[in-house]
Amino acid sequence: MKNEYLPIKAVIEKVIVESPDAKTFILRPIDKTNHMLKHKPGQFVMLSLAGYGEAPFTYASSPIKDGVFQISVRRVGILTHALHQLKEKDIVGVRGPYGNTFPLAKIKNKDILFIAGGCGMAPLRPLIQYVFKNRKDYGRIEIIYGCRSPKDIFYKEEIKSWANNPNSSVHLTVDEPDQAWGGTCGVVCILLPKIKVNPKTSLVFLCGPGVMIKFAIKDILKLGFKENNIYASLERYMKCGIGKCGHCYIKGKYVCLDGPNFSYAQMKELGIDS
Amino acid sequence: MQRLFITSENLKILVANLKKSCDEFIAPKKEHLDDIVFADTKNDHAELLNYEGNSVISPRAFLLPQTEELFEIKSVKNASFSPIEDKKKRIFYGLRPCDIKALTLMRSFFSGDFIDLPYQEKYERSTFIALACNRLCCDEAFCCEMDAGPVAKEGYALQLVAIAKGYLVDVGAKEGRQIVRENKKLFTKAKAADAKEAAVTLRGMTKGRKRIDYKKLAKIMKEDKLKPSVWDDIGLRCVVCSGCITLCPTCSCFGIADRLDGDSGTRFRYCDGCPYAGFTRMAGENTPFPLHKDRIRRFFEHKLNIDVERYGTPSCVGCARCIQTCPGNISIRKFIDTV
Repeated sequence: MKNEYLPIKAVIEKVIVESPDAKTFILRPIDKTNHMLKHKPGQFVMLSLAGYGEAPFTYASSPIKDGVFQISVRRVGILTHALHQLKEKDIVGVRGPYGNTFPLAKIKNKDILFIAGGCGMAPLRPLIQYVFKNRKDYGRIEIIYGCRSPKDIFYKEEIKSWANNPNSSVHLTVDEPDQAWGGTCGVVCILLPKIKVNPKTSLVFLCGPGVMIKFAIKDILKLGFKENNIYASLERYMKCGIGKCGHCYIKGKYVCLDGPNFSYAQMKELGIDS
Repeated sequence: MQRLFITSENLKILVANLKKSCDEFIAPKKEHLDDIVFADTKNDHAELLNYEGNSVISPRAFLLPQTEELFEIKSVKNASFSPIEDKKKRIFYGLRPCDIKALTLMRSFFSGDFIDLPYQEKYERSTFIALACNRLCCDEAFCCEMDAGPVAKEGYALQLVAIAKGYLVDVGAKEGRQIVRENKKLFTKAKAADAKEAAVTLRGMTKGRKRIDYKKLAKIMKEDKLKPSVWDDIGLRCVVCSGCITLCPTCSCFGIADRLDGDSGTRFRYCDGCPYAGFTRMAGENTPFPLHKDRIRRFFEHKLNIDVERYGTPSCVGCARCIQTCPGNISIRKFIDTV
């Protein structure tokens, strides 16, 4: 039997500064045969920094063959502060992949709307990359993304390239514009009038702060999107990632096993719709 | 099921034989103030072969201890970890049926798609000898109502039922058959009169106690038909002392932390529980269960509703340890009656 709590080693191959308080780490697990690299969009990894403990991070990259994966980390707590001090060639512990995946079969041939707030772009990025990689299998794709300020926008170059895909568009908004910002200002929801997808048949994927998810869902329901077609990636305190420690438990569901991706219909059952 | 008889004298010999075959012999003994506690009595021979009542602390502490090392951190700098294995063979003697059921439930919980190796390893290497109850351990106990007493239905190697002349022995799992085979001379076949005596005692205990319809209870809780004032009352009474989760034989929530000495150390887990506000608090001070009443509700719903859906039986075994310890007089039994 395998000790599920035991992490494997991964080398930090590259550190990318995304914003004043967020970095993306490109990690290479030393054991190439490990299933760490066989993740699907929406799943997460438990990252260990000995002495600081462990924390869950969603994979921020689509599964690729060159033996690395990415996570994007905002500096908020003790572990993330320590992680931000690390440099290339430093070693961390990782285990996973854990959690459910976005409903990949359900989105085929459909229009898709992505709504991200701040570092909430990280969990959606694997799915966005996956969808653009198989572009012909999907309908219209709209991405709306809101951040505090222009400096806080993640994956700036990549986001520009997403807009170049056929039948796709990316809309950005910030709360606090700087002088160079010529775009929209305000919360993400003000971008909703710009989207051109059919609410009846489209799927929506959301990730961001709790309040953003709450208000965005209210607004998109008003536009006629269906409860079963709205998915959010949730965040909960977790220690084990395998449904044992009890921290992420909500009404019989474990966010780490049954989630972290829930449809709005499921969220309502769990009483976390408001 | 095979039913045998053993005299008190022969039981002493059996215990002595069993002690030779294990690393830890966990049995009830009396501590100061005459409290019953479970402890390793392999060497001090202080075990009680029969006793009244139940232990203050549930024996789960031997399979899911207050703190437990998960693995060794060989080097922080190199993120080098190495497993710690627990190869000890344990024999648990004199466990009450409620605690046997609790450990069996916890075993189902700790298996599944992901296996919790530290618990499973210890459970699989353990042998359980149950001691059926002849009378209720305390006024508050409601094991009969929760389908967890006075005798265990599964999860034991041997189950002893005390009668005037000695003990009736039910042989359960295959370790039980092996123990009987290896100690053949100590057992005789049970007589019909002895079995009758035991049946009368047990019937006396369950008299007037009806198993609650826990499927109905789960349904009412799921449909949220309770008056909100029930939760308000409970919330007011809880002082977050965590006595309930510490003594509960089925509570299994834990936290994980690292303990370092220079560049090396261990990662360990410690018992944690849902009554604490910090249990769900995330970085950035977002707490999904901010109120006492929300957290006790989560606790009760898990035991009485969710686990009925998941395992077909509630994970409250009616041992009443939480009721006895609660300074706010919160009673899960009264709660069930109210529902």
